[in-house]
Amino acid sequence: MPEPTPLRLKQLIIATLKLEGTQPEDIPDDEPLIGSPRFGFDSIDALEIALAVEKQFGVKLGSSEESRQALASVSALAAYLAKQRG
Amino acid sequence: MSDARPMRRNPGPSWGYGFLLWAERWWPRWVFRPALMAGTWIGFWGMPEQRRHSREFLAIVRGRRPTVREEWRHFFAFAEFLMRKLRAGRGIEVKCVLLPEHAAEFTTLARSAQPALFGTFHFGCSDLLGYLLGEFGRTVSIVRLRVDNSDDTRLLGARFGARTSFLWVNDPANLLFELKATLEGGGSLALKCDRLEFSARAEPFEFLGARRLFPFTIYHLAVLFDRPVVFCFARPGSDEDAIEVQASPVFRPQPGAGREANLQAARGHFQGVLAALEAAVRREPELWFNFLPLNPAVADGAEGRA
Repeated sequence: MPEPTPLRLKQLIIATLKLEGTQPEDIPDDEPLIGSPRFGFDSIDALEIALAVEKQFGVKLGSSEESRQALASVSALAAYLAKQRG
Repeated sequence: MSDARPMRRNPGPSWGYGFLLWAERWWPRWVFRPALMAGTWIGFWGMPEQRRHSREFLAIVRGRRPTVREEWRHFFAFAEFLMRKLRAGRGIEVKCVLLPEHAAEFTTLARSAQPALFGTFHFGCSDLLGYLLGEFGRTVSIVRLRVDNSDDTRLLGARFGARTSFLWVNDPANLLFELKATLEGGGSLALKCDRLEFSARAEPFEFLGARRLFPFTIYHLAVLFDRPVVFCFARPGSDEDAIEVQASPVFRPQPGAGREANLQAARGHFQGVLAALEAAVRREPELWFNFLPLNPAVADGAEGRA
């Protein structure tokens, strides 16, 4: 399993949501992923990201509250995955 | 789920459902029915906003301003439906008659062990479809908005038994993750797909003479989790406690087709479902139980994301 670094997560988000023309550096580490005016991700996008993350990193996102917190930003997601993988 | 906003409530006093149940049970029909009609008049005059939305909806369907009697009939149809729900809730058996069109396809899916997504609308007796799914031995989570006085739904839930449960929506931000957990657990979901309030994604479809936004989330879930989708809606049957159920063809995502192709096929499927719903609404407009603004129309080519 690859390490869930912020760069890998951004690449995964771009590939999953087919964000053509978006580079990893265009996604800030600490900006909210969902509801961000820049990207306009909605909860279906969040669900797609969650499924892709689970598949790629072999980590199950927890309860709905936990999933929301994990998907708060790229940094939060990387920290959550690192913690889950021990 | 956490409470994210003040809880809404159905119109009427807190003792209303209990009183209706008591009166329907003990008063003779020749007393109860006129009393229900009189009560509907009171509700009708006491809910100007709902009356305005009803009038606007009926005007679109009928192509003219509805009469006061037609508006009242819309409210009374809802009162009659509420009584059906309450009767069902207190234990009177509901007889579900599946209309022949697409019945075989629906039955095959409903009888199978495959988890599925069941869509419906705020139309006619569709709240009673839990009975139909129960007849097929299906375990289904029914997604419902929690309101303060949900006694009608609570009673129905008790009647539907262990095979159906309600997934109460308090906080829309958590909803999709709740649905994810249910789907990943192998459960089936039933959700209504006409109101936009908690929809993650909406898209425009032809309905009642315009391209109107409808929730499309059910198909996104179908494609993401590879689940079939079938819609059904119900109208009152000839018997007081019978309902007639109309099913749609089954939509099955094709695993090799890719997300966009599947969503495109889903759009065609949902448009067919809405055409059937529109035909039913035009036949019996008083059974459209959305006393809210009709789904908003969008300009041609506009993409909805609500």
